[in-house]
Amino acid sequence: MDQRTLSHKRIKLLKVLLIAAMAIFVCRLFYMQVLQYSKYHALAIEEQVKSLTIPAKRGEIYAMDGVTPVKIVLNENVYTVFVDPTEVVEPEQIVNAVRAISGGTTVNDIDQLVRAKPSRYKIIAKNVSRQQAEMLQTKHLRGLGFQKTTRRVYPEGQLASQTLGFVNAAGLGQYGIEEALNNQLNGTDGLLRSVTDVSNVPLTIGDQNISQPAKNGENIALTIDRNIQSYSEQVLANQVQSIGATNGSVIVMDPQTGKVMAMANYPTYNPEQYTKVLDAQQFNNAIITSPYEPGSVMKTFTAAIGIDTGTMTASSTYNNIDTISVAGAPAIGNATRGQTGTITFQHALDWSLNTGYVTIADRLGGANNPPGVATVNAKSRNIMYDYLYNHFKLGQLTGITLAGEQKGIIIPPTDEQGNAFRYANMSFGQGMNLTMLQVAAGFCSIVNGGKYYTPTVVAGSVDSDGVYQAKPAPQPSGQSMSASASAQAKQMIHDARARFYAANDKPGYDIGGKTGTSQTLINGSYDNNQTVGSYLGYGGDTAARYVIMVRVEGAGKTYEGNRDAMPIFTAISNWMIDYMKLQPKN
Amino acid sequence: MRRNQNTVAFASSVKLGPVTHTVLVALMITVLGLIYLTQATKATSYDYQAQKIDNKIADLTSTKTDLEVENARLTALESVRNSSVAKAMTTTDDTQYVQQ
Repeated sequence: MDQRTLSHKRIKLLKVLLIAAMAIFVCRLFYMQVLQYSKYHALAIEEQVKSLTIPAKRGEIYAMDGVTPVKIVLNENVYTVFVDPTEVVEPEQIVNAVRAISGGTTVNDIDQLVRAKPSRYKIIAKNVSRQQAEMLQTKHLRGLGFQKTTRRVYPEGQLASQTLGFVNAAGLGQYGIEEALNNQLNGTDGLLRSVTDVSNVPLTIGDQNISQPAKNGENIALTIDRNIQSYSEQVLANQVQSIGATNGSVIVMDPQTGKVMAMANYPTYNPEQYTKVLDAQQFNNAIITSPYEPGSVMKTFTAAIGIDTGTMTASSTYNNIDTISVAGAPAIGNATRGQTGTITFQHALDWSLNTGYVTIADRLGGANNPPGVATVNAKSRNIMYDYLYNHFKLGQLTGITLAGEQKGIIIPPTDEQGNAFRYANMSFGQGMNLTMLQVAAGFCSIVNGGKYYTPTVVAGSVDSDGVYQAKPAPQPSGQSMSASASAQAKQMIHDARARFYAANDKPGYDIGGKTGTSQTLINGSYDNNQTVGSYLGYGGDTAARYVIMVRVEGAGKTYEGNRDAMPIFTAISNWMIDYMKLQPKN
Repeated sequence: MRRNQNTVAFASSVKLGPVTHTVLVALMITVLGLIYLTQATKATSYDYQAQKIDNKIADLTSTKTDLEVENARLTALESVRNSSVAKAMTTTDDTQYVQQ
């Protein structure tokens, strides 16, 4: 075989080998790229494409400052400081720096945590501010890391805490508006799905990128006026402490719109420190969550019903003998004795005489019983129930956008318990369980011309540019009574206060109110040694501009409406006149 | 001679063989590939610029948030009430109204 032939053979062999090698590559590539396409595509996507959640910003909450909304709940950027103990080379320097800069937010056992090998993640400080985090970063301490997060801040401290609620560690709104409007405040997280580089910088290459921006939560503006709220809380706390009560509440409403201007409770708490609250009852807004027997403040409702049905007027009379028997049950007596004889219902309201209001309840059914006797027949009971439940919306949820509202109870006459004796008691505010919000909202309609407005705490919203969008002006959701009956009832309430307490009020204004001292039901029977003091009243100029309801109580203590609750009403009422710049009549 | 037929024809003196053609095509493909890569890289460089701007926006938003919180704390009723300015204020008298 000559050299030339041998060379050709080698070239051919090389060709064959090359073709074979190429064929192997082609086959392998075919296998990987065609047959195993899904597997490798998924692996590539997993490696290159990152899905990042864009957290939605929780909506902020505003209160009114006069007519301007101001922020009272905000979000603050804070940092969680952690260490990777396996990376730490100067543990002592980290401990000293974090303690010096983060202060009280540093965890107690930081000394051990920075040396806790082989762990790679130990939190050594929480809720560190941005400035503090930046100061720590400038120290370039190896093994130290930061995680950005947000927390809810309440710069007004305890102000309106039960109305606001708080946000728990899981980011869920608890109590108050935070819980009631949690979904609205939360917003919707966005999604960024993109090919990223090694530093996780999203790149536009690739055809599967998704950019779905986060929808921030809605900013809510409350009807609560922070000045009225603050003053109400201050007055309530002072009075409750001075009389030694354990609990107290105040609600201030605008009777012309149903807007709640203040809801104060005592004791209270700071939502920013909700974890330090030992008694969970402090989270509850007693104004909507604790129904009670309001007592004699309900005589204003009975009078309103009597006037609207044409049963009585302020000057109508009855014969008071200080007790009245209903359906053979134990006689109902007056707390104040001696106002006997033929007296007007105005006089009965001034002196808060139970007999007068049982008599009105009795007369609703057309009865004409002798003095000291009442039957409160089915017709009376039906009329009372219709007014209390359907007209004044008592014993049912008002629908206010706050978590935990209780509906209380008004027992209907169709119920076995809805008998004559109960309805006789209901005429002066016992035998029923109502929330302060229900009573105050119903009372608003008595003093505003009979228009029932659904109570609300939401005034509107604030857009991302900070522009306030007020909700449309509230419209009455019902007519509880005629305008003329409302005017008469309002005059009665004014006269009832003016008779004894006019000297407490600023002259020239229309102020009215009614005391309430209610017994509490303990182990199935009323206890005279534990009474709740209430006061329900209104104030204004040519029309009622505010309604205030007060309640003070304490276990095993007796509180009276005029002595213990009324001073709170008087203080807030006189302050409201100045704050609202009301001008005196004439 | 047929009508409209060119009377002069140029013939190139350079003759390209099949190998040269193949090389030229390969070069053109390479150039096109480079152009594509340049454009793709350019687009990606915008991503980095966009990321920088996004980070700057995030920083500024964060600063704005911090300032808003600080502002809310300073203007909170309790802060105002306890401020030295408020403490130096005198209590106002009741408003007096006159009838015209």
